[in-house]
Amino acid sequence: MKTMNKRNLILNIVVIAALIGFIIWAEESRSFGAYNQRIFKTCCIYAICALSMNMVNGFTGLFSLGQPGFMAIGAYVTAFLTVSAQDKISIYKIVPISEGMANLHLPFFAALILGGIIAAVFAFLIGFPVLRLRGDYLAIATLGFSEIIRIFITNAQGITNGPTGINRIPNTYMNLYVVCGILALIMIFILAMMKTSYGRALLAIREDEVAAEAMGINLFKHKMLAFVLSGFFAGIGGGLLASLVGAIGPDQFKFTVAYEILLMVVLGGQGSVSGCVAGAFVVRIALEKLRFLDEPIDFGFIQYKGIGGMRMVVFSVLLMLVIILWRKGIFGSKEFSWDRFFGFFAKFKKSPKKEVIE
Amino acid sequence: MAALLETRDVTIRFGGLVAVNLLNISVDKGDIVAIIGPNGAGKTTAFNLITGVYKPTEGDILLNGEKINGKRPDEIAKMGIARTFQNIRLFKELTVLENVLIATHLNVKTGLFSAVLKLPHARKEEKEMRKFAEFLLEETGLLQFKDEIASNLPYGLQRRLEIARALATKPRLLLLDEPAAGMNPKESEDLTEFIREIRDKFGLTVLLIEHHMQLVMDISDKIYVLEYGRTIAKGVPAEIQANPAVIKAYLGEEDDKDA
Repeated sequence: MKTMNKRNLILNIVVIAALIGFIIWAEESRSFGAYNQRIFKTCCIYAICALSMNMVNGFTGLFSLGQPGFMAIGAYVTAFLTVSAQDKISIYKIVPISEGMANLHLPFFAALILGGIIAAVFAFLIGFPVLRLRGDYLAIATLGFSEIIRIFITNAQGITNGPTGINRIPNTYMNLYVVCGILALIMIFILAMMKTSYGRALLAIREDEVAAEAMGINLFKHKMLAFVLSGFFAGIGGGLLASLVGAIGPDQFKFTVAYEILLMVVLGGQGSVSGCVAGAFVVRIALEKLRFLDEPIDFGFIQYKGIGGMRMVVFSVLLMLVIILWRKGIFGSKEFSWDRFFGFFAKFKKSPKKEVIE
Repeated sequence: MAALLETRDVTIRFGGLVAVNLLNISVDKGDIVAIIGPNGAGKTTAFNLITGVYKPTEGDILLNGEKINGKRPDEIAKMGIARTFQNIRLFKELTVLENVLIATHLNVKTGLFSAVLKLPHARKEEKEMRKFAEFLLEETGLLQFKDEIASNLPYGLQRRLEIARALATKPRLLLLDEPAAGMNPKESEDLTEFIREIRDKFGLTVLLIEHHMQLVMDISDKIYVLEYGRTIAKGVPAEIQANPAVIKAYLGEEDDKDA
């Protein structure tokens, strides 16, 4: 047992050091390339959104699809507060922005955290009516609220510049250190939280609501806790996305975003932090790397003209296969551990031996 | 002695069906009281009323003289009523220890953020919770299984774990819903002993629903008999055994040999 623990500790240190080394290399070296850097950052940001959804769907066993709404709030708050006053005046053409509003400005990190907090406040307010619902009803209600937020944003032109959206969002701090650092902080927070009594209470609600309540767990309070934290993380994710992309509009926060995040969570493993992060990376990278399917390919003997959206078809088929073969997702509901990792490979090693015995 | 639990004319209707009608039970501190009756008599409904899952249509439920009807199940658990379920309801995918730890959550004083940051007092509280949970597992003979996934335990041990979990809420009154269901005579004999033991050790009062007559007659200080939501008899085991209405409704026509 002890030697195993030592092995795991050493492996953890090695892997974390390698990851940090990789991030430094990816950020500093030219050979990684701006394109790959951007994919990497997008992966991290979506991982944050997946963790946000996992808080409610994976740990607490509820089914919420409200992420796009909370992301939009975070994105708009961050965008609004980091774009400079002159830029805002020149962007807001249809309904001019008042001088007082244009002069509202905060440093990036303050704006990002405020975006998260405002998203959390909205989650709190929405939570009162919707957290009394169960299962699919909750999913429909949260999806509805997410759409309401988007439509509000589309129409509140004086604040959000309506359908045109906000551009010229500065990306001064959007380097890999910041993005990966924030993801790491959120992961550490969630992992630490799930080891506390509060984390266990959430799991209890997922396992059996009736029993959890009979054991003295206040269902509403704990569901609200998960929902508000989820809103906060989604707000942070949205804020980072706004800064990375540089321009945001209401169309970026349609309900389809919720499905994309749901996909990451289900693929990675509901209830697993490492699973959600892995799911986010797999989905984002696959979507990027399958782009060649949309473009013409010359096989020599046959010409493939390229069909727009083909990558989505292939991607969906791959996804179905994964879900059918690996119903609980890559990681199941458990966290990544070296014991499981080696156990997985040990299965392959052992199977030929059996044949020898026979 | 004042009753720990008292129900006064408690009635619940589901549409036209009167599931429990004018239920009047009183459970004295330190007693073991049984509710028996044929299937569908309203026994589990009575438990659900006492624990706040259902709200009575009429009548009052008092714990130590304080009205508890209308309160939520988690509030009632905090006031000192814990229960087990007829169909075992463990947190299946979690470990045995986690199952018990979860039930200690209602007494947690640390806030979320000090718990996440592992501040000294949070650490101390977590340590105490673990110690208490392990103590309960030791008392119920489950300590060696503490890292097992709950659903992997054999049936009898799952029932025991439900009791350990209920004890972790530090109850005054323990409600057991068919604790001996599916047990053989030897096992239910052990259970009788076990229930007495925990009653004495934890200063509990026990109210139980049971079909195993041997167990009920052995253990109970008082028995209530329900049929179609009505209380048709109450008394000490000997009285119940001799009661013709009970024999007719529940025990069958076996009175030849007594007569």
